[in-house]
Amino acid sequence: MDTPTIRVLVVDAHPVIRGVARLACEGSKDLELVAEAADAGEALNAVTALSPHVVILDLDLPDGGGRNVMVRLKEARYPGAVIALSDRSDGAAVLEALKLGVQSYLIKGTALRALADAVRRTAAGERLIDPDLEQGAVMELGRFARKAREGSETASMLTHREREILGHISEGLTMHQIGTRLGISPRTVETHVAKLYRKLGARTRVQAVARAATLGLIDLR
Amino acid sequence: MSKRPYTPANVPAPKRRLGVIVVDPLPVVRAGLGLLIDDRPDMEVLAEAGTALEGIEVIQRVRRTRVVVLVGLGLSGEGDAFWLIRTLRERFPSHAVLGMGANADPTAISRALFVGADGFVDKNIDPVEFLQALRKAANHEMVLATPSGVQVGQIAQGLDRRKEVEIKLTEREREVLIVAAEGLTAREIAARLGVRERTVTTHLARIYGKLGVGNRMAAIRAAARSGLVTVGTPE
Repeated sequence: MDTPTIRVLVVDAHPVIRGVARLACEGSKDLELVAEAADAGEALNAVTALSPHVVILDLDLPDGGGRNVMVRLKEARYPGAVIALSDRSDGAAVLEALKLGVQSYLIKGTALRALADAVRRTAAGERLIDPDLEQGAVMELGRFARKAREGSETASMLTHREREILGHISEGLTMHQIGTRLGISPRTVETHVAKLYRKLGARTRVQAVARAATLGLIDLR
Repeated sequence: MSKRPYTPANVPAPKRRLGVIVVDPLPVVRAGLGLLIDDRPDMEVLAEAGTALEGIEVIQRVRRTRVVVLVGLGLSGEGDAFWLIRTLRERFPSHAVLGMGANADPTAISRALFVGADGFVDKNIDPVEFLQALRKAANHEMVLATPSGVQVGQIAQGLDRRKEVEIKLTEREREVLIVAAEGLTAREIAARLGVRERTVTTHLARIYGKLGVGNRMAAIRAAARSGLVTVGTPE
């Protein structure tokens, strides 16, 4: 019986890793490497043009290319599966990758030995991820949940005015500028700021901004 | 003398058994879990309850340190599962609390985590795995035990959405949105919250702006997707 081959795209800045993927596919009758890409742009073009079943994606692509590719694949509702390759084994990295929608997560060193098998199993719908890595991600998820809850509790404590002022502080405005912007006296601004710092548990502007960013009340990006 | 192979069933009983409290509306579930847990040498059911309020009552009487509370997400009536989890986190922080559901969707799971659960177990998994999850939780490890592998990514996305909604809206706006999600008119919402109808419409307009939606249905949908409200049963 003729089973259709699994079409594979490898995305990696490193020629050695692309070479490993090439060899893995050449050595397997059921895998076809349809293209190699070295950056996010080439990757997205290849996905659009060639519709691979599986994308082997190096998440450590320079300039956040790995994340970029995942975001664009999600927007385009890419129906295939992504195998993420990474050097990072910390919970935060794994959780971030799972959030972006990767199906399997493999560490570069160990994964490359059994890449063909990983592709096959991922294409068949299996989620390949080391149990320890998964637990790391789950623990990070717990931390994330707690931060989200604390962030929302703190946000609830802030008045509308205090939140406005917090935003302006993080933009770098002085008390005077904030006062002008909001149409209140600098003295009043100071009073609000004192209350705001107390609620955030901060003593300085920098602490306040850092705490607010940690809690997700402001976005520093 | 032959050595017994190590399986979870042969875990030697520590001096103190792990105490489990089961809060679930279904008698069959409570009975089944009771049999499963009491059969193990290292754990026992300390108490059970069918509603959230009963749950608080029985937990108050428990004098134990290593305790895991299983909260069925299908709890309804005075106080739902999420209210109970939140209350347990506030009043009995030393107990491990696990949300428990049957094929619960990622949003419901993220909601349980958001209000403070130490993890989630699905009733649809292998019983041995289920018991392992309880042991993990008792050791204060985060637990996610779901049937077809963990949907960590989707649960994280649910948490993201919840965080956004919580942070964008003021407490008052959240209140209005939660009541609005029951399908009440502005007048009915005003009556429920004890404010003027005009106030409610102002709040709703601000809510739509902040959530980037154009009408009430879309706002309720955003609230449901974030887990702020649960439309339908969470189980």
